[in-house]
Amino acid sequence: MIRFDRVSKRYESGHDALMQVSFDIADEEMVFLTGHSGAGKSTLLKLIALIERPTRGSILVNDRNTAKIGRFRVPYYRREIGIVFQNNRLLMDRTVFDNVALPLVVSGCEHRELGRRVRAALDKVGLLKKERDYPITLSGGEQQRVGIARAVVNKPPLLVADEPTGNLDDTLSTEIMDLLADFNHHGVTVLIATHDLRQVQRLGRRVLELHNGQLDYDGAPAP
Amino acid sequence: MRNYLLRHAQVFFYSLGQLARSPFASLMTIAVIGVALALPSGLYVLIDNVQRVSGGIDSSARISVFLKKSVNDSHAEHWTERVRKIPGVAKAEYIPPKEALAEFKRLSGFGSAIDTLDNPLPGVVLVTPVLADADAEALTALVERLKKSSEVDIVQLDFEWVQRLNALLEITRRAATLLAVVLAASVLLIIGNTIRLAVYNRRDEIEVIKLIGGTGAFIRRPFLYSGALQGLFGALAAWLLIQLSLSVVAGPVADLALLYGSDFRVKGLDFRAAVALLATGALLGWLGSRLAVGRHLSEIEPS
Repeated sequence: MIRFDRVSKRYESGHDALMQVSFDIADEEMVFLTGHSGAGKSTLLKLIALIERPTRGSILVNDRNTAKIGRFRVPYYRREIGIVFQNNRLLMDRTVFDNVALPLVVSGCEHRELGRRVRAALDKVGLLKKERDYPITLSGGEQQRVGIARAVVNKPPLLVADEPTGNLDDTLSTEIMDLLADFNHHGVTVLIATHDLRQVQRLGRRVLELHNGQLDYDGAPAP
Repeated sequence: MRNYLLRHAQVFFYSLGQLARSPFASLMTIAVIGVALALPSGLYVLIDNVQRVSGGIDSSARISVFLKKSVNDSHAEHWTERVRKIPGVAKAEYIPPKEALAEFKRLSGFGSAIDTLDNPLPGVVLVTPVLADADAEALTALVERLKKSSEVDIVQLDFEWVQRLNALLEITRRAATLLAVVLAASVLLIIGNTIRLAVYNRRDEIEVIKLIGGTGAFIRRPFLYSGALQGLFGALAAWLLIQLSLSVVAGPVADLALLYGSDFRVKGLDFRAAVALLATGALLGWLGSRLAVGRHLSEIEPS
């Protein structure tokens, strides 16, 4: 699903965020991306979402060379990736339903189909009863679940999460991680950037560890 | 296609709702645009009305030819007959000195006091040009031709002041056009600024939409509708302003016209002009919004 081939990213400031990073993530795999802050986790996710472009090397996502995706094709490319943000980035002036519906509205989904799919996504994260509420009235864990519902509502083959449990306590973190693992169980490729080693240990999935912009470790979680 | 129209309708009502959500700010913008559009439009209405007044006078453009005192009545009649044959002359009427004096006596109220005088008035021929030829050049040529006659003392063109008025109107029209251009530019700037603020206020939303795959067109759409709507409402305000101003002056103008024995009435914007005004407003709003959004949207990239 994702292939990095000797990818380097140097920012205009001269900072080398990633150096010669290579790895493969197979379809339907679930992988954790770990590392100290500033190790390059965010940069790596930005490269996948085409928020940034690599300075060197090539990135294949879903068998497509991302270098060949022009500026005007980027929106269509992003519709194939569900992104979960650390601070959930919900729109506070819209209801839960409207937030989750946004990706479908953006891609011009038909009205009846839209309602059906939004409710299915909300049902999966257990928030069907809150569809008319505003995000501000929800707890942190619930907000993050709305964010996940928004990321999966148009059934992307790839789900990318950036510190999805960053602001949550242990119980809620477990809940969120189990939810993401459940999507993986249903065939979605999942890549999670996190420094929550407890969750990484608990789930026992493959780990990619970055250290100062270089891939330091690739394998099962260290005991 | 149906889906596409439905989406546009949704965005239209969404933008309308956005305007209604901050009524004070929206009304301010609309009022400013209204005033900016009302000034040139009002000036055009004024020119149009003045032209209709002077238009009624155009048709009565006359040339008064004062003959020399030495020309006697039969000679004058003969000369008038010749004038009638000049192309471009519709009518020529000779008024002998005696008649002119009688008329003067009647109108001036000096009465019998005038009888004691020798008749000081010359014979006059009133020449009415053909209306179709009533443009300035043809008239001047006619006047010159009449002047060359040995029988003629003075030629007076009553048309001159109409010409001056027309020249004045032409200047005003040009000034109105210039004003329209300048104010159209200011409408663009006003809307551009409003939209720029709206774009910055919804920065987060724009970033999120970009991240979940919203195209530039999708993000622009509500702003473009918002701009066009504000322009449209501004034009509507301008229209109201003009109609209101006209209704204020309509009464006195009608009274004045009555004093001159005319049934002239002030005329506002007709249907076509009103539609043109509204379309211009909407178009300016759309354009101002397009310029602002194009510039500022690319500055907002998710990070």
